[in-house]
Amino acid sequence: MRDHNDAAITIDGVSKQYEGEGGTTTALREISLSVSSGEFVTVLGPSGCGKTTLLRLVSGLESPTDGDITVAGKLVQGPDPNRGTVFQAYHLFPWLTVRENVAFGLVEQGVPDAERQDRVQEMLEVIGLSNFADAYPKELSGGMKQRVGLARALAVDPDILLMDEPFGSVDMQTRRQLQHELIHIWRDTDKTVLFVTHDIEEAVALSDRIVVMSGTPGCVQATVSVAESRPRNRSAQWFVDQVETLFERIKSNT
Amino acid sequence: MATEFDPVADSSGIRSQPTTTTAFGREWNLTRLWYGFVGTAGFLAVWWAGGREVPSYLLPTPGEVAGALWAELVSGELLVHLGESLLHYIPGVAVGIVAGGLLGIGMGWSLVIDAALTPVVRVLRPIPPLAWIVFAIIWLGLGHTGAAFIVFIGAFWITFYNAYEGVESTSRDLIEVATTLGVDSNRRLLWRVVIPDALPGILTGVRTSVGQCWMMVIAAELFGAPGVGYEIITSANNLAMARSIAYMLVISVVFLLSDWAVRRVRSYLLDWQQ
Repeated sequence: MRDHNDAAITIDGVSKQYEGEGGTTTALREISLSVSSGEFVTVLGPSGCGKTTLLRLVSGLESPTDGDITVAGKLVQGPDPNRGTVFQAYHLFPWLTVRENVAFGLVEQGVPDAERQDRVQEMLEVIGLSNFADAYPKELSGGMKQRVGLARALAVDPDILLMDEPFGSVDMQTRRQLQHELIHIWRDTDKTVLFVTHDIEEAVALSDRIVVMSGTPGCVQATVSVAESRPRNRSAQWFVDQVETLFERIKSNT
Repeated sequence: MATEFDPVADSSGIRSQPTTTTAFGREWNLTRLWYGFVGTAGFLAVWWAGGREVPSYLLPTPGEVAGALWAELVSGELLVHLGESLLHYIPGVAVGIVAGGLLGIGMGWSLVIDAALTPVVRVLRPIPPLAWIVFAIIWLGLGHTGAAFIVFIGAFWITFYNAYEGVESTSRDLIEVATTLGVDSNRRLLWRVVIPDALPGILTGVRTSVGQCWMMVIAAELFGAPGVGYEIITSANNLAMARSIAYMLVISVVFLLSDWAVRRVRSYLLDWQQ
């Protein structure tokens, strides 16, 4: 276990409401959660429980109706490249090559040319797509696209990685592979990860801590720590039991 | 606005043919070529048969037209008149595309500009470019400048509309991604996301403009501006119909050439598309 020192992300009494035609909808109610630096925390919950909304609030793409979100002691008031975001639907820039997609954030930061190229090359090697550097997204499989999405977020070396069901659109085989790679990258880079998924097994395989959410309105049901070392054996008894426990917990709340 | 000049060129739906990679595809392509040949020959035969029956000033035969075309070509007149047409076509199209594209991007992006200009645009846009010919004549006279003005109006609205649509429908998701990667100004957002995302639409506008504006050119020239269209009408006034048709064919050829050129540029710029 790494030591989880100061809080990297603090979510304090956050609520989110949307004004609609049929009145006000509460998406999140009174969420409080703290993620330590270097910790891998997964928000687990059924579709529509507001877990994606929570992630969007942390990324700064939306603002809470009530409560505060602070990252490294600073109030979140908008998106920031220090909080890299990876989306389920990849959202690669289709007119840019793999290399240019990965370089996007570095260009915006004004990183000098030579340094930028080195960094992009390094990222391409991390995700194993050096041979596809000049390919356009249309030429890539779903798994490859998400690798690029990950590399694009990581290229600017953010302290925090926000991942919104990142492996939800790829097949089982690829999903396992990507989970495996993510754990490696996380270990090597010491990022703080806030990960959103509805896949219980994925949550148990990856996380230091699992935050179980239920809806609606979305609120935190429970927090479960998983102390086992990685890589985790999915057929081990503790793993099967943990998945089952979480499954029962989610089921009883919906 | 669709590229209504060449509906078959991009056919990919119900009209798409078997691919050429299969044996069947090659066979079909040969058959197609053969049918095309038969159809063209049939058309020329009917034309020829009709032309033989009536005086040349009503309908010249294909042979007479070919003769007239050749005569214009060797005398150099054809190039002179084509040059005159290009002299107002090219500046009109170029300025129209740039100005229309800029206004379309501006209105599509900025809510303020959109709100301010929408009423004016709504009223002015439906006016056919040719209606402006009265102003072209009064302000500029029907020389190159007046004709270029008509062409400009045509290219302007077509490109404006396509650019506006393209920018307005920019992917919200990609804008969000860009902001999470550190894009924090409108200028960067336009440059890095909005314009590239709207480029397919803008280029459709360019292609349609380049085609449509040949019509504006001919129309302006029928009113008296020098060029290919002027030759069509003056030849007809002299009952030299073979020469008239020869210049009509010139329009067809330059249209096909310019459309081909724009398509090449377009597929080069959009090679990232599906």
